[in-house]
Amino acid sequence: MAMVYLTRKIEFSASHLYHNPALSAEENKRIFGKCNNPYGHGHNYALEVTVAGEPDPLTGMVLDLKELKEILEREITQRMDHRFLNYEVAELKGEIPTCENMARVIWNLLEPKIHQGRLFKVRLYETPDLFAECYRNGAARA
Amino acid sequence: MNGELKIVLGRRYRFAASHRLHSEDLSPEENSRVYGKCNNPYGHGHNYVVEISVSGNVDPATGMIANLTDLDGYVEREVIEPFDHKSLNEDVAVFRERVPTTENVCIEIYQRLKHFPQARLERVRVEETGNNSFEYAGEEI
Repeated sequence: MAMVYLTRKIEFSASHLYHNPALSAEENKRIFGKCNNPYGHGHNYALEVTVAGEPDPLTGMVLDLKELKEILEREITQRMDHRFLNYEVAELKGEIPTCENMARVIWNLLEPKIHQGRLFKVRLYETPDLFAECYRNGAARA
Repeated sequence: MNGELKIVLGRRYRFAASHRLHSEDLSPEENSRVYGKCNNPYGHGHNYVVEISVSGNVDPATGMIANLTDLDGYVEREVIEPFDHKSLNEDVAVFRERVPTTENVCIEIYQRLKHFPQARLERVRVEETGNNSFEYAGEEI
């Protein structure tokens, strides 16, 4: 099997804050620090989406990049770009929009939409120095 | 396909340090042949980038695998503080015995971080320059 891994990168900008209403104001401050500012703050996110599959013998493609681009535009960019993640993204309601949680939410949005090849990994950068990855256990390459 | 979802948190750090690649077990000619410019007796330096990946359960109360303040503090104490603006050969005890190639620097950083209490260390990646990087994920089982 000639498994090929294709990665597409997109960027979006959004604001968020970290706050758990079950915790006291002091605990929120202690755990989340600056990220607890009630007015929020923002990041330029970068998302790398990797799809694994064997190239179709007819087209030579794992999947049509145009199609992946449209899926990412519809599922991620339109939902998250220039939004306040806590208040405007239904899938993050009741969640703290950390990189870890967002990577999982993004995985769950994309996995059912990708029909050619299979979603292998998402890597979400909150800043160039901080990212979270989500993949299925046992699927990771070295 | 049916494996559980796994979340990994990645974080990048930087330090600047000097090193010299030289082995006591080799003759001066061999050292020069093997290590080339890196064998210069006065050493030379790099801006290193260290990328750490950790995994674990995402705490529902915080949304985090590990609090970044804890991770940053641990890496700062175990790696950045002892390595930054140092001569790796002279200032880091293990490299008095072992050549501080970036392969060995990567393994040493892994050893220093593998007992981080809040999460499981998945791998360490070290960029010696923008063009060279090395990864270590512990011994193969």
